[in-house]
Amino acid sequence: MNEPHAVEMRRICKQFGALVANDNIDFAAKPGEVHALLGENGAGKSTLMSMLSGVYRPTSGEILIRGRSVNIRSPKDALALGIGMVFQQFRLVHTLTAAENIVLGEKSSVWRGASWMRRKTEEIGAVAERFGLKIPVERPVWQLSVGEQQRVEIVKVLYRGADLILLDEPTSVLTPGEADQLFEMLRQLRDAGKTVILTTHKLREVMEIADRISVMRKGRMVGTMNRYETNERELAQLMVGRAPAGVMRPAGRPPGKPLLEAEGLTVEAGKGRTAVRDLSLTVREGEIVGIAGVAGNGQSELAEVLAGLRPWRGGTIRVCGREWKWASVRTAIESGISHVPENRMKSGMAGSLGIVDNLLLKTYRHPERSRFGMLRSRRNRAWARSLVERFDVKAAGLDTPVRQLSGGNQQKLLFAREVDRDPKLMIAVHPTQGLDIGAAESVHRLLLELRAAGRGVLLISEDLDEVMQLSDRMLVMFGGTIVGEMSRENADRERIGLYMAGLQDAPGEEAS
Amino acid sequence: MLWIIPLLVVLAACGSGGSGGSGGSGGNSGGPASTGSPSSGESGGGDSAAAPGEEASGKPSVAFVYIGTPGDGGWTYEHDQGRKYMEEVHGIKATVVENVPESADAERIIEELAQNHDIVITTSFGYMDQTLSVAQRYPDVVFLHCGGYKTADNMTNYFGKNYEASYLTGIAAGKMTKSNIIGYVGAFPIPEVIYNINAFKLGIESVNPDAVVHVVWSNTWYDPTVERQAAISLLDLGADVLLAYQDSPATIQAAAERGALAGGNDSDMTRFAPEAYLTNPTWNWGPYYAQAVQEVMDGTWTNEPVSGSMGDGMVGLAPLGPSIPDDVKELVESAKEQILNGAFDVFKGPLVDQEGTLRVEEGRVLTLEEILEMNWFLKGIEGKIPQ
Amino acid sequence: MNGKAAAAGMDGDAGSARRRPAVPRLRFEFDPVRTGSPWWMPLAAVFAALAVCAVFIAAGGTDPLAVYKKMLTGAFGTRFGLTETLVKAIPLLLCGIGVSIAYRISFWNIGAEGQFLAGAMAATAVTIYMPDLPAVLALPLMTAAGIAAGGLWGLLTALPRAYFQVNELISSLMLNYIALLLLDYVVFGPWRDPGGLNFPGSPMFTADQSLPAFGSTRLHFGLVFALAAALLYAFTFRHTRWGYELRLIGANPEAARNAGISLNKHLLLVMLASGGLAGLAGMAEVSGVAHRLMYGISPGYGYTAIIVAWIARLHPVGLIVSAFLFGGLIVGGYSVQTLGLPSATSEMLQGAVLFFLIAGAAFGMIRIRRVR
Repeated sequence: MNEPHAVEMRRICKQFGALVANDNIDFAAKPGEVHALLGENGAGKSTLMSMLSGVYRPTSGEILIRGRSVNIRSPKDALALGIGMVFQQFRLVHTLTAAENIVLGEKSSVWRGASWMRRKTEEIGAVAERFGLKIPVERPVWQLSVGEQQRVEIVKVLYRGADLILLDEPTSVLTPGEADQLFEMLRQLRDAGKTVILTTHKLREVMEIADRISVMRKGRMVGTMNRYETNERELAQLMVGRAPAGVMRPAGRPPGKPLLEAEGLTVEAGKGRTAVRDLSLTVREGEIVGIAGVAGNGQSELAEVLAGLRPWRGGTIRVCGREWKWASVRTAIESGISHVPENRMKSGMAGSLGIVDNLLLKTYRHPERSRFGMLRSRRNRAWARSLVERFDVKAAGLDTPVRQLSGGNQQKLLFAREVDRDPKLMIAVHPTQGLDIGAAESVHRLLLELRAAGRGVLLISEDLDEVMQLSDRMLVMFGGTIVGEMSRENADRERIGLYMAGLQDAPGEEAS
Repeated sequence: MLWIIPLLVVLAACGSGGSGGSGGSGGNSGGPASTGSPSSGESGGGDSAAAPGEEASGKPSVAFVYIGTPGDGGWTYEHDQGRKYMEEVHGIKATVVENVPESADAERIIEELAQNHDIVITTSFGYMDQTLSVAQRYPDVVFLHCGGYKTADNMTNYFGKNYEASYLTGIAAGKMTKSNIIGYVGAFPIPEVIYNINAFKLGIESVNPDAVVHVVWSNTWYDPTVERQAAISLLDLGADVLLAYQDSPATIQAAAERGALAGGNDSDMTRFAPEAYLTNPTWNWGPYYAQAVQEVMDGTWTNEPVSGSMGDGMVGLAPLGPSIPDDVKELVESAKEQILNGAFDVFKGPLVDQEGTLRVEEGRVLTLEEILEMNWFLKGIEGKIPQ
Repeated sequence: MNGKAAAAGMDGDAGSARRRPAVPRLRFEFDPVRTGSPWWMPLAAVFAALAVCAVFIAAGGTDPLAVYKKMLTGAFGTRFGLTETLVKAIPLLLCGIGVSIAYRISFWNIGAEGQFLAGAMAATAVTIYMPDLPAVLALPLMTAAGIAAGGLWGLLTALPRAYFQVNELISSLMLNYIALLLLDYVVFGPWRDPGGLNFPGSPMFTADQSLPAFGSTRLHFGLVFALAAALLYAFTFRHTRWGYELRLIGANPEAARNAGISLNKHLLLVMLASGGLAGLAGMAEVSGVAHRLMYGISPGYGYTAIIVAWIARLHPVGLIVSAFLFGGLIVGGYSVQTLGLPSATSEMLQGAVLFFLIAGAAFGMIRIRRVR
C-alpha cells in the first residue's frame, strides 16, 4: 500500500454558524475503489462531499489529492484536480441535447460550427463507449428517463476528465431496475481505474456495490471498513449509534382517550406512486408517539394528510372520535390539530412578514383576533408580545421579518403559535432539524410539556435519538407503512435500525 | 419619494433666478413667479398673451399643434414649411408643439397654448372637438383647424380641394396599370379620404374604364409597418399601381421592391424610390397661414371656412416620376390646365355608387358641402366603408 | 441535508474562507423584498437624470435651467398645470393600485391596459344603449359597468391561471390586444357617431353622462374615486382580514395554504378587484375627460401604471406620489416644447428620469456587504 490515496481528508471541520456539520473528519479513498459514505440524513455526508467538489470550503483541516495537499476553492478547482460531482438534482438544460449539455460551458473554442459539434459529439460518444455508458447523445434531455439523465451527468464528468467521481445519493431518484444498472456502470468505472465515492443511507445498496464503507453519524466519522468484513446489522448499529444519556423526562400519566385514530390509510403521492399504504396508528391523550424512519418512506405525506393539506385515497381518519370526510386545513385547525411542518420557513412561516402576522397564521379567523372582517390590531399586538415573552423568542421587535430570526427563534415562534392554540394533538415533523443543541432542547421541553398537559403528540423525525428520548411509543415507517412498533421500555436501537432499513418486516408485537 | 416635490420646487426657484437674465423666448411662460397670476386662463389670450417681445411689434403670437414631427417628410413637414413661410412673411416666431396625440391630451395642450397666444393652429382632423371645446372657453383667441367641419365665432377650418390633384393622379395611374388592378391604402374611412379615392377613380376611369381600385384601410395616419403591410396585401392581389393616403413613404418603398408604381400624399416623394414613383397631391400651406395672420392683424378675419384649390396654389401635384412616359405626362398636364382654368369639375354627374345607385344625376355638379360629407364609394371601387 | 439547510439559514456564512483576504472585498446581494432603500435614492435619481439631460439640452443651445423651470411650472406651477397633472394622475393611480393589488400576491397582471379599455367600453355602452338616463342613474350605472367589465376582463386572466396554470403574463398581455381590437371594432363600427362623418369615435356624452368637473377645470370627480381607492387599498391591506390573507399569500403561498387559505379563490377575487380598478379608470377617463369613446382613448395608462406601481413599491402613499409625478412628467414634457425644443427633448427627459428612478430602485434592493 505505498500508492497514495486518491483522496485523503484530514481533521476536516466544517461549521455553519453554531452548527458543526463536520467534526474532525478523517476520510480516505483508494484509487480504483467504490467507496460508500453511509449515514442518516443530516449526518454530514453531503457537506463532506461538497468540500471535495468545491462547493464549500472546510473551516479547518487538510485535503490531499493523490498525496498532494490542495486548496479547493471552487468547482472549477475541483475539476482541474480531476474531481467531478454528480448532484442529487441534475444540472441539465432540458431543451438541449445530451451532447450539447456536456459541452456547455466549455471555453476552449470560440467558433462552434456544425463540424465542431459533430466532432464533439463523436468524442463524447467515444468516452461513453469506453466506460460502457450508453446514452442517446443527440436527443434532447427532456426526452430522456431519469436514469439516462443521470448517465448524461456521469458522462459529463468523465468527459471533463474526472478520475474521482462523487455521487450524492445517486439512487434516491432511481427505480430499483435503474439502480441496478447504475451499479453495473459504477463497477465498470472502477474496473477502468476510476475512484467512485457515493453517499447513501441505504444499507442494501452499500452491501451490493461498495468495496469499502465509511459510516458517519451526527457530523462525525464512526468507522471505515471493508465490505467483506462487515454486515448490515453492524452497519445499522454504527449508523444510528448508541443511546445517549437520557434527558429529563418525567414519567407520564397513563395515556387517556384516543385523539387520533387512522385505519388502513392509503395515500397517493402523484404520478401513481403510493406514498402511504394501509397504515394504522393511534395517538392518545398524554402520550408522545414517535415515528422513526428514513426520509422518503411516506412520513411527509402522512403528516400532510393529518394536517389537512393532502387528500387520502383509502382508509379512515378519526380525530377525537369524529370521522373526517375530506381533507381541509380548516377542518384540521378546528379539530385542534397543530402542525409543525417539516420545513418551517418553506411552509410554516412567511419570512418577509413580521412576528405578529406569523403568529396570526392559524388563528386570525377567531373572533378574538378579528371581528367584522377587521383585524383587532392592538389586541393582537399585545397578545403577540406576551407570546414572545412566554416562549422566550429573541427578536428586535414585533415587526421584524421572521426571516431575520435565528433558526431556533423561528422554531420557538412556530411552537408559540401552535401551542398557544391549546391543541389537542400536535404533529411535529423534524422539529429540531437544523437547530443547535440548546434550541433543540427547548423544543423537546415544549413537546414534553404538551404531553404533561394531557395532549397528544405525533413526532415524526429522522433523528432516532430524539424519537427514543421523547416517545412513549415508537413506530418505524418503511415503504409507506408501519413495519415496527414498540413501547419505550422495549425499544431496542438495533432492531429499530433494522426496521428502518426495511430488513425486518414482521411488526413487533409488544403491547404498549 | 415625497422629497422629489420639494426638490423640484427648489430647482424651479434656481431656474427662475438663472434664466431671468437670459430672457429670450422663455418670457411667455405664464408661471406664477413671473406674472404673479397663476391662472391667466379665463379671459385667455389677447392681452395677457401678448408677451413683452411681441407687444412691441404689434404682431400676434401664433402657435401650431402638430400630429407628428416635421421630419416625417409628409403631412407635418408641409405644415412646418407653411409655418416657416408665415414666419418669414411677418417676421415673427411661432410656438410649435409636436407629436400631440388626437386624444384628451390634445385639449390640454391646445388650452395651454390658448392661454398665451393669439392664434392657435391645429393641424389634424382629430383635433376638431378639442379645438372647439377650447375655442368656446377662449373667445379672444383665434383658432384655425385643418380638415374638419365644425366652427365657432373664433374658430374656422381650412382645407384644400386636394381631390383635384387626386383626379390627375388617377389619370397617370390609369395609363400606367397593366393588370388593371390599382391599390389604394387609406388612412381612415372619413370623407376626406373617401372623396380623394373617388376622385382618383374618376381620373382612372377617364383613361381606362376597365381598371378596378382596391381599397385597404390602415386606421392610422402614420405607421410605416402597418402601411407596408397594407401595401403588400394590395400587391398580392395583383395591383401594379398603388396610392397611399398616408404620411409615410412605406407604400412607395413596398411597391418599388415589387417593381410596381406608387404615389403617396402631402409631399413630393420622388426621392424615396425614383424609379417606382408615380405622383401624388401635395400641399402648400404657407400663403394661407401668412394671409390668415395678416387678416387677424387687420381685424378682417372671419370664421368663414377656407377651401383652397389648385387654382390658388394650396393644392399641387408632385412632378410625375422619371419612369412615367412623356405622353402620360402630357395627358396629365392638359387635364391640369383645364382644372386651373376652372373649366372642369371633378365630381360631375352621372356618378353611380358601388350598389349601382345613381348618386348624382347627369350634368349635376356636387357642391363643396356635399363633397365634404361624402360617405360612399363609386362603382368600380372594391372596398368597404364601415357604416 | 442538514448542513445545507443550516447553511441557507445562516445567511451566507458558507462563503467564509479559512484565510481572510487582506483587503475586505465587497459583495452585492440581490434582495428584492428589502424595504429600507436609502431615503436619498429617488432624490439622487432625479438629480442624475436632470444632470444628464442638462448636458444634451445645453449642447442643443438651450438653457437647461429654463427648460426645467418651464417643465415644473407647466406641470405644477399654475392652477391649470396642476389640475391637468391631476387629470393625468387619476387613471395612473387607479390602474396603479389595480396592478399593485395583484402584485401583492405575486400575480403579474400586465393587463391593466385591456381592463381599462373594457371599463371604458362598458361605460360607453351605457350611454349608447340607454342614452336618456338622468345623471343620478347614468353615472352610477356607468361606474358599475366600468368596474364590472374591468373585473371580468381581469378574471379572464385569473381563471386560466387558477385552473389550467396558464401563465398570466402572456394571457393578460394578449387580452390587452383583444380589448384594443374590440375598441377598434366598436368605434369604427356599431358605436360610431352617426354625425361624426366616419371619424372613429362614439357620439359625445351628454352632460348627464359626464362626471362633474371641479370649477372650470378639466379636473373631474374621478379624483375622488382614485383617492378613495388608495385609501381603501391602504386600509384593506393594513387592517382587514382579507388584506392579511393577501399579505400572507404574497409572502409565502405555502404558508397560506397551511393556514387554510384557498389560493385560487383569492386569485380570482384579487383579479376582480385589480381589473375593476382599471375598469373604473377607463370609465372615469371616457366620462370625465374625453366625454366620448374614441380610437386611442388610452395613451398606455395601463402600462405606465405598472411603472408607477413598481416605483411606489406597491405602497399606497408611494402610489399617490408616483402617479402624481408621472402625470406631471407627461404634462410638463409637452410644456417644454413651447420653448422651441423638439418633442424628443421631453421624451428624453421622461426616459432619463424613469431610467434613473428604476436604476435607483433596483440599486435599493441590492445590499452591499463586506466579505469576511
